[in-house]
Amino acid sequence: MQLVLTVNGTTYEVEARPTARLLDVLRDQLGLTGTKEGCAEGECGACTVIVDGRAVDSCMMLAVQARGKEILTVEGLAQDGELDVLQQKFVEYGAVQCGYCTPGMLMSAKALLMGNPVPSEQDIRVALAGNLCRCTGYTAIVAAVKAASGQDTRPLMEMPVEPGELAAEAVTDPDTLAAACGIVEAETGQPPGGPCSSGGSSEMLGFHSAPEGGE
Amino acid sequence: MTQTQVLTPASLEELVAALAQATPQTRLLAGGTDLVRELRRPVREPDLLVDLTGLAALSEVRLEEGMLHIGALATFTELQWHPLVREHALCLSLAAAQVGSTQIRNAGTIGGNAANASACADGVTALTALGAVVITVDGAGERRTQSLDDVVLGPGRTSLRYDEAILEFAFPPLDAGHRSAFAKIGSRTAVSVARLSVALVVRFDADAGVLSEARVALGAVGERAFRASELEAKLVGRAADDETARLFADGCVAAVEASIPGRYSLPYKRHAAVGLAYDAWNMLALSAPSEPAWT
Repeated sequence: MQLVLTVNGTTYEVEARPTARLLDVLRDQLGLTGTKEGCAEGECGACTVIVDGRAVDSCMMLAVQARGKEILTVEGLAQDGELDVLQQKFVEYGAVQCGYCTPGMLMSAKALLMGNPVPSEQDIRVALAGNLCRCTGYTAIVAAVKAASGQDTRPLMEMPVEPGELAAEAVTDPDTLAAACGIVEAETGQPPGGPCSSGGSSEMLGFHSAPEGGE
Repeated sequence: MTQTQVLTPASLEELVAALAQATPQTRLLAGGTDLVRELRRPVREPDLLVDLTGLAALSEVRLEEGMLHIGALATFTELQWHPLVREHALCLSLAAAQVGSTQIRNAGTIGGNAANASACADGVTALTALGAVVITVDGAGERRTQSLDDVVLGPGRTSLRYDEAILEFAFPPLDAGHRSAFAKIGSRTAVSVARLSVALVVRFDADAGVLSEARVALGAVGERAFRASELEAKLVGRAADDETARLFADGCVAAVEASIPGRYSLPYKRHAAVGLAYDAWNMLALSAPSEPAWT
């Protein structure tokens, strides 16, 4: 069936199955793949989008139900090449690890701030309770949302470099990576504290660098 | 296989016309938090989906002729915050606040909660304590008013016909003399299905210093939410003190034991009911908080 949807301020006309979920149409037909599918049953929140100002799971809403409504997805956050303040704070606070939950987290947080510009920590935790993150432990995410609302929070860690300078070169050598992580010392290639310490090696990162007479 | 047709009525007349086309394979769609998931692996592809979310009037909450009316399309978020619900049906607001997650509360509706008829539907437990009736309309345009108990029959089972949609719920509003509470236990705080829930409504006669009315509904313990009438009778006429709190907790345990004899979860729920009862009791704030004597 023919559907007219307004997503991030743009009106789209799409031909979709009547039982297509909003998530399916966003990803497969509009190519807006920032919205993720996780559990597909409303537990994880990876598919969260904002419909008429409220956060909803796009895996549990049919596309036909979104007709005539304002849909906002993660692609609609940045304006004119500038990150939304939430996105900026997620970067600064290290609130992103694997990143799969991030679009949903951002949209739940965005919906919160749209209705409650200065939320308490409890407000933030309630707003994000439907978004699972298996990496961060949530602390950095909550702090980032708080910071985005202009509330004074200290970054959990000092930024090692400015965001734009990150990862100028991909590190592929396991020993360099191990050194960067502080598992071995850069010059010696040995665990900090000497070769005999039980400190570990690059194998701790899951690499097995064969040559040096290893196993 | 023919493709599912979707109708989105925007008025009561259009709803009746849509319901007139319904067959036993037709499904009614409200917030979608249960049905959309099911549609991915349907037992049978529906021939027709009647999408109720176009009916803005059905999400209204209003006081009319001495009854509080709750539109079937009211979402849990709306019920959580609606001033009339907070003033006249606090246990329903508290129940709504504890459903799923923000996303689910923003989409899920009270009508869907009842029509889906899960034994652990928090909204249904609260409506049971409030003594709600269900007002429906069918494809012939005929309205029926039935007690909630006659509509929600058991897990996934209702008396609703395939061409019948819930329009609203109605019950006598609680007044300033009433206190009400809702508490539930799940596997975790948020996004959690109730393992046990209780909705409690009392009227406290301050002059006599006793409870003059008591209504207790238990959910997620048995086939559907039910009123613990024996316990209710015991509570009436008692002072709001520690002894009554204990009697309430003991009564909840007895009702749980009677409802699920021999069920594997009984040893857990029997104990959980004590803490849950005290949580709900203390929410009434009739006296200083009481604590269970764990013996």
